[in-house]
This record gives sequence, structure tokens and C-alpha cells, in this order.
Amino acid sequence: MHQRIGLLSVAVSAALLSGCASTGVKNPSGVPVTEMKADERGFVAGTGVESQDLVAVTDKMARGILAVPQVANSTTEARVVLDPVVNETRFPINKDIFLTRIRTQLNSKSAGKVRFLARERMATLQNERELKRSGQVTSAADPNVVEFKGADYFLTGKLQGMSTRTTAGVSDYVLYSFQLIDARTSDIIWEDAAEIKKQGLEDAAYR
Amino acid sequence: MRVKRPDLNYLMRIIHSFIIALAVSLLVAGCATTERTPPQRLTGNPAVDTPTLLTNGPSRDKVLWQYRTAATAMQRGQFDEARQLLDDAILTISGIIGKDAEGRKARGYFSPEARKTFIGEPYERVMAYYYRGILYWMDGEPDNARACFRSALFEDSDTLDKKYAADYVLLDYLDGLASVKLSGDGSDALKRAQSAVRISMPGSYNRNANLLVFVDFGRGPTKHAAGRHGEHLMFQEHPCKIRGAQLQIAGKTYQVRAYDDLNYQATTRGGRVMDHILANKATFKDATGIAGDAAIVSGVVLAHNRDTQPIALGAIGLGIISKIASASTRADADTRSWDNLPLYLSFAHLDVPAGEQAVTIDFLDEGNHVITGLTKKMTINVPPNGADKVVYVSDKSTTPQNL
Repeated sequence: MHQRIGLLSVAVSAALLSGCASTGVKNPSGVPVTEMKADERGFVAGTGVESQDLVAVTDKMARGILAVPQVANSTTEARVVLDPVVNETRFPINKDIFLTRIRTQLNSKSAGKVRFLARERMATLQNERELKRSGQVTSAADPNVVEFKGADYFLTGKLQGMSTRTTAGVSDYVLYSFQLIDARTSDIIWEDAAEIKKQGLEDAAYR
Repeated sequence: MRVKRPDLNYLMRIIHSFIIALAVSLLVAGCATTERTPPQRLTGNPAVDTPTLLTNGPSRDKVLWQYRTAATAMQRGQFDEARQLLDDAILTISGIIGKDAEGRKARGYFSPEARKTFIGEPYERVMAYYYRGILYWMDGEPDNARACFRSALFEDSDTLDKKYAADYVLLDYLDGLASVKLSGDGSDALKRAQSAVRISMPGSYNRNANLLVFVDFGRGPTKHAAGRHGEHLMFQEHPCKIRGAQLQIAGKTYQVRAYDDLNYQATTRGGRVMDHILANKATFKDATGIAGDAAIVSGVVLAHNRDTQPIALGAIGLGIISKIASASTRADADTRSWDNLPLYLSFAHLDVPAGEQAVTIDFLDEGNHVITGLTKKMTINVPPNGADKVVYVSDKSTTPQNL
């Protein structure tokens, strides 16, 4: 009988002790810094606008612009001004990043067919020109001649979204559309769009 | 007939064995990996305590302290600080999708709901986006402000009863105003805002308005737990005698009425998925408690007969295990609250002359009388180029402020 009591006590203790095991703790020692490609979906992801979307969208747009006949077949450089992207989604984002990446892609791959005008620096440029005109600083050319170039095209875009939230989860669709507008005629000479839809569901503890 | 008396020494030995087993298990219960945070020495001054807790408090409460500190920073006119805190909090809110280890533990029988990373109930998440939207507009980014107002509405869009889904008047109204400011069409958003009205009807948009005044007042809801095991999440309403505000600028007086009430928003969501989990935990806690009592009583009765003593031993053992399981089950709801939220949200957009302007804001009671002691004074600089000047003021704002 004493043996039975002892065995039962051990069994009960073992059952109770089993709760002490540290189970379910993910990455208890943390996760080391992992370098990822910008177009790669990482292990930290939401349904919003992310780097892989930016890369995919801007790569597609840059390829599209380079294939536009007015740019591809032009014998002169096409001068482009960036007009800020309009964000109509539910995600607050740094909108300029889209145009910055398209600009860098085009500058590196267009072999000089496309030139961007630094209109966001106009205040600084005009100030420099005034300094040259007043003789306060040296000038390599006649500062009174207007050399600021006018735009042949405006590149702009719009981000629009549709979002749904139900007990089944969260769904976000974002339409990224970009246009190249002829500054002389207002013709939209090129337009392209990319669509990305993401869905997810929070842990029940947060619903 | 001679009745056989139970062997009391034998019964005592059984009970001793279980007490030893129980004591050992309790002693080693500390083996589980838990976050230990040293107790913080608090001063009682929220302005001092909240940053301390934000830095040194448990990581699961980080967003809670970010919310509270951001609200205090907004009231003090420290908008850069509020911006950083809200950005970080919103990153957590928007990144919670998918598997979450802390969420899984919070669902477990033996962990409280408050084990999970705090992101707040929908009305709290709405307010994080709302404040961030105000700050984006202050920075001259009405489209990102609109994105925040849309995200805020999105947080309120999965109510049980769809009648109460995304029914913040002000958020729709601001969505439309931002669209108008961006040369878009805000008429749909205005219609949605006007159809959701409960307190005050917002007027049509003034395209020439260059001063946007966000006003909030009162004390918003806080949470408490009810039910036998604290499994029901309830909201505590706090009485508020402020019903509106009046704003004096450039020799004119404007009335500012409340559009949204956070008590209403907190209490019209319907049930949460977590409420079902907590109800299951409470049922489990009750069932194991009752089963434990029954098993122990049965065991004691059976122990009176030497022939049934081995069965009695098992019954008492099971009873004790069941009682331990019952006592360890944590069915209590998470009552962590963003406790410095306002009760009413209000807004006005005005066309005022450019340049430096003195602004006086008084808070009004139900009879439209000025409540003494709450007057706020500000000196604002309205830009000359037609750009929006955005002002935030609360009944708890510091005064005077130069914006």
C-alpha cells in the first residue's frame, strides 16, 4: 500500500511539474539582424504598403516609361518634373519614396534619354542665381541668361485603396497608378498600374 | 453488527503525501519563463510617471504607455514627442496580424488576458490614428491625415451589429474635408458623416477655411471586470459637465459642438472573440472547481471503508489536481485602459485673417454657460499663403500656448 501511495505521489508531482516547462516561447533569445532584399517579403509583415510592393511597382513603372515611344524614339532628352503622388489609401506613407525610386531607376537605366528637373530645389537654385547676378559669387556663364529648363512631361501617380475588415480577417487592396503627362498638350502619353491585395487575421486574443 | 472504523493514520498519510506533492509543485511553479519587471517608484504625477513606465515598464504594456504619454504630450503642445510615440504605437497596432506568441498565451487557461501585448480596444486604436491624423495635418500632409482618419474608421468597422460599424461622425467629416482640401470630392464622406449623427450635425465644408481647430473634452471610458471570475469586460463612464466649447478669434466668437462620444463608441461594439474565450475559461474554472470538490468529498467518504481506500486515494488525488487546475485558471478580462482619453471629440474649421492671432477657448456646460477655470489661451500664427493652420486643444491642455 505504501508503495502505491509513493507511486501516486510521484505521478501527481510529475503531472504538476510538467506545467513548468517553458513551451510556446518563440525565439526566446531573440532574432539576429537579418539582411533582406528590398523586394523580399520578410518575416515581419502587415497588410500595408511595404518595401517589396514599392520595388515591384516602381520597377514596373520605370520599364513602362522607358518603352513609351516619345521617350524611346526621341532624339533629344525628355525633361521630366515629378508631381507629388496622391495618397488615397488608409495607410499614411512617405509618398515621395515612389517617385524617388522611379527617378533613380530611370536615371540609371535610361542612358540619358530621360532627365529630371530639380523643381523641389528651385528656391535654393534661384537664390544661387541671384547671388551670381549680384556678383557676390563667381559664375562660369552669363547668369542673366535663363537656363532653368522647362518640363516636357510631368510624372505623377495616385495610390488608391479598398479595405475590408470582418471576423474572417483584414483585406487591403491597393491600386498604384502612374501617369506621364505631356506638359504642352496635357495629353496623358503613358499610364500604367499595379495592384496588390493582402489579407490577414489577428490572433483571436486581439479580436 | 460491528462497523469497521476507518484507519485515520492511513488517511493522514495519504493527505500528507499530497500536501508534499502540492508544496513541491508550488515551489517549482516559478520555473516558467515570465517577464519580471522591477517595481517602479511612482511619484503620482502622470507627467513624470508615464515616461518612466514607458521606459522601464513591461514590454507588453509599451503601447499603453505610448498612448498615455502621447495624449499628455498633445495636451502640453509637445507635438514632436506625440508624433514619435504614436508612430511607434501604430507600428505595433498594424503589425499584430498573424500568429502572436503572447496572444496565444493570453488565450490559454492559465494566463490572464492581460498577458497579451496591449494594443487597446477599437476605440483606443481609433484615437491613436485620430491624434496621428491631426499631427499629419499640422505638418501640411492632409492626405496622410486622411489616411489616418480612414484607418481609424477601419478599426471600428467590424462591430457585431453593423449599424455601429465605422460610425464616427468626425472621422468621416474630416476624410471629406481633407479630400476637399486636396481638390477632391468630399461629398460622399460628408453624407456618411451626416447620416451617423447622434449629437451635433456637422455643417457643409468651407473651402476657404484656413484654421482647423480640434477640440476634445471630458474623461473617456475606462475598463473594469465583472462576473464571478472577472471574465466580463465592462466600461466605466465618467460624468462630464462640459457639453461644448466656444472659440474667440479676430473679434468673432464661434461655437464648437461635440460630434462623437467615446462612451458610446466603446459600448456599441458588441462582443469580442476574446469574450467567448474568457467565458470558456470561466466555465472551465467552475467545472474543475466543482469536480474537485466532488472528488475530494467522495474520496473522504470512500476512505471510511478499508476496501475502498485505494479508490479513495485516487479520487482525492484527482480532486486536488482538479482544484489546482481551477485555482490556476485565469478568466479575468484585460482591464488596461488608455485612461487619459477625452469623452467628446469636436472640431471647427474657420476662415481667419493670416498673421498672429490670439485665441481664447472656453468650455460650456449644458446651459451654454462658460465653465470657469477651464479657459485656454493661445497665440497662433496663421500662414499667409492659404495653408492650413491646425490647432489642438483639450480641457486638460496647458495654457497659454504659442503655436
